[in-house]
Amino acid sequence: MKREHLALLLLAGCVFVPQLEAQIRHVEMRVEGMT
Amino acid sequence: MKQHLQRQSGVANVDVSLIDGKVEITPKEDGQIEPAQLLKATYDSGVSVSELDMTVSGKIVKDSTGNLSLQVKPNQSFVPTPNELSKGLEPLVDSGTVVTVRGQLYKKPAGKQKKADISAPLKLLILEVKKDR
Repeated sequence: MKREHLALLLLAGCVFVPQLEAQIRHVEMRVEGMT
Repeated sequence: MKQHLQRQSGVANVDVSLIDGKVEITPKEDGQIEPAQLLKATYDSGVSVSELDMTVSGKIVKDSTGNLSLQVKPNQSFVPTPNELSKGLEPLVDSGTVVTVRGQLYKKPAGKQKKADISAPLKLLILEVKKDR
């Protein structure tokens, strides 16, 4: 039973991890006129 | 301006350095951040943006017009400005490979133009490519 749960967990990880990887990770702006 | 930016969707944290005029924005882990909205929000708070750089991970696809595109979400993608680095991404089209790139999405035009046109579609000038998998 534990192995089944573990296998399901791994499968879910394979499905969701690539989608989570695609994202904007960092944004940096140079600005003028800031006080 | 900091509060204005922090209210934008997908923004986790905003760091402002008054000394060198640098604003660093950290997106939420699972949120969708919209750079064009960040530009607009900054201009709306009375501050002029001279440059916007970002690090983004996504898949290389071709859009409906056949242009190379870095797709981050099904409803969010960036068209790269053609250069040597963007040409190097062409073999990865539709491969499912997630690449991380650092690029410049906006640069204020040189000259005395008072307000830049931020409504124009933004193209990503790729400065560095890091292949994830």
